[in-house]
Amino acid sequence: MGLVESGKIPKPLTHLLNLSRKYSLWVYQWGLACCAIEMGAAFGSPRYDVMRLGVIPLPASPRQADLVVISGTVTDKMAPAIRRLYEQMPDPKYVISMGSCANCGGPYWDSYSVTKGVDQIIPVDVYVPGCPPRPEALLEGIVLLQQRIGSEDMAARWRGDGDSAERWRGGPVVVD
Amino acid sequence: MALDVDRDALVLGLRDELGDAVLDAVVVAGVDVWVRVDRRAWVQAAEACRDRLGLRYFCFLSAIDWLPSPFGRAEGQGVDLSRLAGAETVPMEQGAVETVPMEQGVAGGETRFQLLARLSSPTTQLGLTLKADVPDDDLRVDTWSGVYAGADWHERETAEMYGIEFVGHPHPAHIYLPGDFEGYPLRKDFPLVARLVKPWPGIVDVEAMPGEPVEEVADVAADGTEASA
Repeated sequence: MGLVESGKIPKPLTHLLNLSRKYSLWVYQWGLACCAIEMGAAFGSPRYDVMRLGVIPLPASPRQADLVVISGTVTDKMAPAIRRLYEQMPDPKYVISMGSCANCGGPYWDSYSVTKGVDQIIPVDVYVPGCPPRPEALLEGIVLLQQRIGSEDMAARWRGDGDSAERWRGGPVVVD
Repeated sequence: MALDVDRDALVLGLRDELGDAVLDAVVVAGVDVWVRVDRRAWVQAAEACRDRLGLRYFCFLSAIDWLPSPFGRAEGQGVDLSRLAGAETVPMEQGAVETVPMEQGVAGGETRFQLLARLSSPTTQLGLTLKADVPDDDLRVDTWSGVYAGADWHERETAEMYGIEFVGHPHPAHIYLPGDFEGYPLRKDFPLVARLVKPWPGIVDVEAMPGEPVEEVADVAADGTEASA
């Protein structure tokens, strides 16, 4: 029985695994509204160049993604699709909620059709506020997520008690 | 009638085809035409527009709910009643229904719900807005999908948003809403659940424009008193 199966992972190995994961984040872009344009501009443009952060923004499917950025207005009709998308992603998986709509409903807080925050459907690791957020804010959200991945307790994750929303000791992080 | 020969000809053509089913018609010279027809002649009107008037382009079909907002946010009302003292929401009995009369738009009307559709001609660029009253106790009208194929999805939207049934529609399912959605969200008396727990905050965080005196930017506080800026 190896160290990993026994739930005991030596610190240097944890460090190495976390380092590897945080600098090869495959980001699935889940654009739902106008924030999708902003996300595309931030991820796709040479001006901000997310690949220097170790972020690869173009996986072919959610099954190859480590991170999903939910950007835009989540509607009740779209909610089951987002849930399914999240379930298709392989663990370890992370979620960034980009923009006021995905965070809490935003300007559509009273709409009959809008889900008041994507965190009602899937656990969110980083909230990036703004309407829309600046590209720098989205990049800061990714950097904060990378910091958290870097300090993640791999042993706890392997044992299965470090899941999803309870993963971080301090709860989800908000870019401000 | 105003001096607009081309637009008057549209109305005359419809009157000729439909007779008394044309209830009202308004022509604004050089601008537009509105025609209100009997809903029993709704399909006949579409056929007349397409075949006789040459209005071959179907622009849209929708409906209007003319009921003043029962939650106190009627159009043209200076104060948002829903924000006044002790009234997190104004129930329908005490709301604006009695105080604000129901007023239909151009070409008049008699019912709370009105259908409206826009047709135009790609060759002459002339357009026409058709309207029809739909009585509350019989929210039904014949489908246009046999006349204009494009009306299909518009009618599905109108049906789910206002609860108007389109008789003879080939596929009367929800188009935008989830299949199990209850209620008709574009009706004025559809309650927005989020607002039941938190009243609409109105305009917040207004900064004066440069050069504008600060006093002009006043906000009505939640208790109905004018907050001093």
